[in-house]
Amino acid sequence: MTTATVSRWDRFRESFFWYSFKRDKVAILSTLVLVLMVFAAVFAPLLAPTDPYDLAQINIMNSELPPAGLDGSDPAFPLGTDAQGRDLLSTILYGTRVSLLIGFGAVVLQAALGILFGLLAGYLGGKVDSILMRIADVQLSFSTLMVAIIVGAVFKASFGNLMFGEIAIYMLIFIIGVAEWPQIARTVRASVLAEKKKEYVDAAKVMGFGTPRIMFRHILPNTLSPIFVIATVQIANAIISEAALSFLGLGMPETQPSLGSLIKSGFDYIQSGSWWITLIPGLVLVVLVLVINLLGDWSRDVMNPRLYKG
Amino acid sequence: MTSPLVSIRGLEKRFDLSGNLLEQITFEGGRFRRKQEAVHAINGVDLDVQRGEALCVVGESGCGKSTVARTVMGLLSPSGGEIHYDGQRIDNLDGKDALPYRRKMQMIFQNPYASLNPRMTIQQTLEEPIRFHHPDWSDIEVRDKIHEVMHSVGIDPDWGSRFGHEFSGGQRQRIAIARALAVDPEFIVADEPISALDVSIQAQVLNLLMDAQESRGLTYLFITHDLAVVEHFGTRVAVMYLGRVCELADTATLFATPRHPYTQALLSAIPKLEDDRPNHIRLQGEVPTPVNLPSGCVFHGRCPYANERCRAEVPELIATDEGARVACHAVEEGRL
Amino acid sequence: MALLEVKNLDARFAVRGGDLTALRGISFSLDKGERLGLVGESGAGKSVAAFSILNLIAKPGYIADGQILFEGRDLAAMSERELRGIRGNRIAMIFQDPMMTLNPVLTIGTQMVEAIQAHRKISKKEARAIALDRLQKVQIPSPEKRLDQYPHELSGGMRQRVIIAIALLLDPEIIIADEPTTALDVTIQAEIMDLLLNLCEQENVALMLITHDLGVVSQVTQRMLVMYSGRIIEQGPTREIINDAQHPYTQGLINALPQMGEPGDRLFQIPGAMPSLKNVPKGCPFHPRCRFATEQCKHSMPEYVRSGNVDVACYEVANLIEQERQMQEAES
Repeated sequence: MTTATVSRWDRFRESFFWYSFKRDKVAILSTLVLVLMVFAAVFAPLLAPTDPYDLAQINIMNSELPPAGLDGSDPAFPLGTDAQGRDLLSTILYGTRVSLLIGFGAVVLQAALGILFGLLAGYLGGKVDSILMRIADVQLSFSTLMVAIIVGAVFKASFGNLMFGEIAIYMLIFIIGVAEWPQIARTVRASVLAEKKKEYVDAAKVMGFGTPRIMFRHILPNTLSPIFVIATVQIANAIISEAALSFLGLGMPETQPSLGSLIKSGFDYIQSGSWWITLIPGLVLVVLVLVINLLGDWSRDVMNPRLYKG
Repeated sequence: MTSPLVSIRGLEKRFDLSGNLLEQITFEGGRFRRKQEAVHAINGVDLDVQRGEALCVVGESGCGKSTVARTVMGLLSPSGGEIHYDGQRIDNLDGKDALPYRRKMQMIFQNPYASLNPRMTIQQTLEEPIRFHHPDWSDIEVRDKIHEVMHSVGIDPDWGSRFGHEFSGGQRQRIAIARALAVDPEFIVADEPISALDVSIQAQVLNLLMDAQESRGLTYLFITHDLAVVEHFGTRVAVMYLGRVCELADTATLFATPRHPYTQALLSAIPKLEDDRPNHIRLQGEVPTPVNLPSGCVFHGRCPYANERCRAEVPELIATDEGARVACHAVEEGRL
Repeated sequence: MALLEVKNLDARFAVRGGDLTALRGISFSLDKGERLGLVGESGAGKSVAAFSILNLIAKPGYIADGQILFEGRDLAAMSERELRGIRGNRIAMIFQDPMMTLNPVLTIGTQMVEAIQAHRKISKKEARAIALDRLQKVQIPSPEKRLDQYPHELSGGMRQRVIIAIALLLDPEIIIADEPTTALDVTIQAEIMDLLLNLCEQENVALMLITHDLGVVSQVTQRMLVMYSGRIIEQGPTREIINDAQHPYTQGLINALPQMGEPGDRLFQIPGAMPSLKNVPKGCPFHPRCRFATEQCKHSMPEYVRSGNVDVACYEVANLIEQERQMQEAES
């Protein structure tokens, strides 16, 4: 077994993917930043100086302290505090964690739905294709925000504010995941249509293999590259969608803030001079989305078979 | 004569071009009309493949030879006619009933660069069909079988962990042949198996196919456009033109005394080493599209011997003195 | 003086991990009105050789060394601007895929007129007359009609005829044809080859025919060269090579043809496959597949020796010639 893993590692190291990664400074830098942010988010409970969820650690007297280096700053709060006296560094760490969780979760849901429906539509064709793709069109013609507003309102009304706070994260994953699956389904369908004409699929049919086996074992692995590219970009989109929803007050509650709800919570104080409460989480959001998009663009260039050929 | 292994009866295949009902409606001459168009890829083909022979089907692009191959293998469903395997009708079977024939009948494809799954190793490519058709086999039996087929096609069993793209075209075609042989078929449809390969590799693969035929008692339906290969490889030859068989004969007979004017033209067009100049029978025009088939004999538009009857009446295959079967009014009437 | 003389041409591809040598020490010449065949399997470098004559090898390929003398001027040293005056004008090219030359959104007539006006200052009307004349020469049915048609309205065979007509537009000295009939059916292929051969004879145009089909080479060309792994391994009069090939590879190539064997017998086969450019073996590149390979073959590339009118790069052939010479000496 060890030999197999070694050879796979060797293959990866000799691959064009790794080769072009090594030569692309933007890709390397983006990966570094992203890894750093993911690391910080995952280990937020260990890294954060305080626990923003723990009301006992919050002192309202510390509210609206500016970041280090400014007049009136407190060395205990390097990025300052928000209106409730929570340490901004800690809330950002926890917020990034929530944002990333929703981003990944939504894309996993999107990918599951998109791959399944895309494969079915592309491989079976005919009526199945028409029906699934019309559903996808209808789905896309609703904006994510509109769906979220309706679903969010319904959830809030039926579960009450307290209960809503607990399930908000799942609700957001569900809404963003369901709203955006057609993006992935379309990509999958397009590559399935190209793949299913190839002779290896005929060879599998001639062997008598069943349709599910051909779809999942033979065709799906050959459509993974474009799925990977679009999924990367979709993570960034999902994070933005979540931030927008939270900013509008339809997303994460302030007790369990994401980057979006942090921006929103500081927005009321921007006029009163406490700009950092909004600006710093805003910057973190921009950097996070930017590096993910940069990586998405880079992987699209690398995995484009037409460019790949040379 | 023993009963044929594979028997194709009145096979027809049309590909609909006109799409759904809405797309079929056209506005012509002041009123709406429903217009249906189809590619007539095969128009009534009867062929018997005898046990142990290599029946070659030749013809130019668009003659329907590949469609015959794919229909026989069940990759396409016929629009008309029947296909029998060993006396049993198979074109209407599906699911479990078809499974035994999936093992007995195998196919080798034209393009070795597309016929191997790029995400599977050679080992996986060969192992999957064996396990699928022999779920009761032990790991050792499976391994031995893989080694046996790899050995018989001249592939080093140590290469099992590599992927298809690491091999040259000729080696890939060997692997594709190994995959077909792995389930111990009786009958193999080979659709232009060497035309994507280089000359020196073509000889290797042809030899391999002949070896496999000899050692495993295989029967081939061999689709090709290359008559030189047919002369070497085929037991019998069927020449197709626009979805019909125009001449069917033993290889030696066909090459010694081609009777159909199209066969004659086709034979004369092979560039031969001993020629100093192209010397071929000139045909008028080019192959018509199979969308609007000519009336009568499909070849009449290009045939130097065509007359009124050829333009009106479809010729049937008729036995000649040499034992060949030719679909040509001129041959029947003794004009040719 | 030869019309075209290629001397010691080296072409390379710059790829990651260093340069790959695609052509090594290619030398040949082409006389006025002569028909030369370039034969080899895929990867032998025959297309690279043809493309490099007009400096058309696609990036990352480049000409590393050598001269390409056309009427005494070195094409390899010419600027892109000067080359443009020669391409399509003095030296025309025919590609395997007609759609590489034809623009799908312009009519045949427009494309032909533009091609003429790019090189000659004449009126549109005159250019159209030339275009019509060439279309008649390639025996296209109803040529006037074709001028106003788009490429997709023509069949494959007809398109290739148009391509030949375009190649002939400016009365070139040389036509380089890269597998011009490979994509066509056998009967159409025969017609096109016949046409090309007749036109070259009529107009006294030299033809460089790149093909993998030995039958076509023997029908059309007077001299041929056989390429293997970027080298010319044998060149000489076509008939002489086809009838009595010297190099073991050429012999193998000819004997591997199904028409050479008895029906039903196994074909002669050369073991293995042509090495990729990434790992061309040392010495004679053919030695791992050669029945006659010796230690010497593994270490150094053989020089050309002459046997009859044929130049061969093979130690085995050189040894045989040497033996024969010694025997003759001993006799006299």
